[in-house]
Amino acid sequence: MPRFMLLAYDDPATLGDIAPDEMQRIVERYIAWTERLAAGGHLLQSDKLVDGAGRRVTRRAGELAVRDGPFAESREVLGGFWLLRADDYDHAVRLAADCPHTEFGELEVREVEELDS
Amino acid sequence: MSDAPVGALVEGLFRRSAGRITASLARRFGHAHLAMIEESVQDALVRALELWPHRGVPGSPEGWLLQAARNRVRDRMRRDRSLARILSDLARTAAPEAPGATSAIRAGTVVIDDDELALLFLCCHPRLSPDARVALTLRLAGGFGVGEIARALLARPDAVAQRLVRAKRLLREPGVALELHAVELPARLASVLDALYLIFGEGYQATAGDAAVRRELCTEAIRMTRLVVALPATDTPAARALLALMLLQASRLPERPDDEIRLLDAQRRDRWSRAWIAEGLQLLDAAASGTELSEYHLEAGIAAEHAVAARWEDTRWPRIVRYYELLRRGNPSPVLALNHAIAVHMAEGASAAAPRFEQLATMPRLAGHFPYHVAAGRHAEERGEPGLARAHFERALALPCSAPERRFVAARLAKVVA
Repeated sequence: MPRFMLLAYDDPATLGDIAPDEMQRIVERYIAWTERLAAGGHLLQSDKLVDGAGRRVTRRAGELAVRDGPFAESREVLGGFWLLRADDYDHAVRLAADCPHTEFGELEVREVEELDS
Repeated sequence: MSDAPVGALVEGLFRRSAGRITASLARRFGHAHLAMIEESVQDALVRALELWPHRGVPGSPEGWLLQAARNRVRDRMRRDRSLARILSDLARTAAPEAPGATSAIRAGTVVIDDDELALLFLCCHPRLSPDARVALTLRLAGGFGVGEIARALLARPDAVAQRLVRAKRLLREPGVALELHAVELPARLASVLDALYLIFGEGYQATAGDAAVRRELCTEAIRMTRLVVALPATDTPAARALLALMLLQASRLPERPDDEIRLLDAQRRDRWSRAWIAEGLQLLDAAASGTELSEYHLEAGIAAEHAVAARWEDTRWPRIVRYYELLRRGNPSPVLALNHAIAVHMAEGASAAAPRFEQLATMPRLAGHFPYHVAAGRHAEERGEPGLARAHFERALALPCSAPERRFVAARLAKVVA
């Protein structure tokens, strides 16, 4: 079965001023959604990335360049990911559709290229 | 397996943790840093949001949140060597922390050993207006959001946010942070009790707003008043009387549905909380052992009369009338005058209460008071004056009120017109 990467882009502005009670309900929705994926046998792996800038590494004309970035100030930051098994894009999007992150950021759904495809 | 839905955490975990963690960090890092601590607590909640779905809920969620918030505070302090930092150092120099001690406020010789209580006393600083004390206590000690506070206090969110900003600005003033260590306990206690009374009242009055939040306000006010009573230095007769008042009134919450006005005479008394009534009566008894007679005593006395009456008909109205007489001696509130008139109506009949209702009609502040028009309408009904009753009910319906209140008055109006 094909694999799909759900890339979670955070919008830092959306979570700043939410009351603790409301925040707890959102956490519960995320956990419930992730557990449903696992229970359905769809979830392969998921993780959060460390906040803040990473390193961007390039080599041009033999010259290695390591820069910090991207910075959290940029509008959207890749904050985490879920790796899923799904039949096709339609299926993957259906699985993603009730993820609360669709409300608090944006999910990018990308199919993982397999060797034999 | 429990019936809890997948992913469910302990009810109210974040809200209560936020209050406790704010209190604990404020003691550790200095109350001058409250605004920054509040942001760090919020950051910790966001971190939980981002991490727990992937990594699972930690064994001790509150401990995890405390650690995360503490790390954020440390990060910020390291980055921010600003005036606030220097002021906090000053404050701590003025009152160095004894090894192992957990006290944040020194009140004369009294040391408040509880972080939450210390924060509560700070939030009720006498230089803040009563409204600001209530908002700040709810936000910092109670963990309520700006929107929830606005719904509970029937205020606009931006107004509440403004109030909080101004209040926190005052608390950042260096004098205030230093003052904390030499607080006059009796004066500050009165202001704390006043704020807790207001919080409970906001939650208990079924005027409008979010019913769930209002119930939480009652619970939270009771919890914080318990903290006050638990500390020997603040366990005064007034504090006990206030807690008694809250428990006796809250005992009736099971018979106060959100979607219907159910007055005392229509409530099923076997559904009242017996445990809270018993505790309330016991506290009131203990509160009456001294020489102090506060308004809380008198109001608790009224609530106790309702609590001990087995049926509505058994209510000892003359006693209630007496309590209202005493309450009105020190307080010119028209709302008290209204409640007094209602009690006289019940104790001595509609004719005896008539002069009082005539006097109420001249009080400008009652003209826009929904409960006044309802009570005056019912009084007029019993006096056999359907025209006047109708006028009062119609006036009540023209005022802002909740849907259940509207239904209640509309039903009475229909009866008068018929």
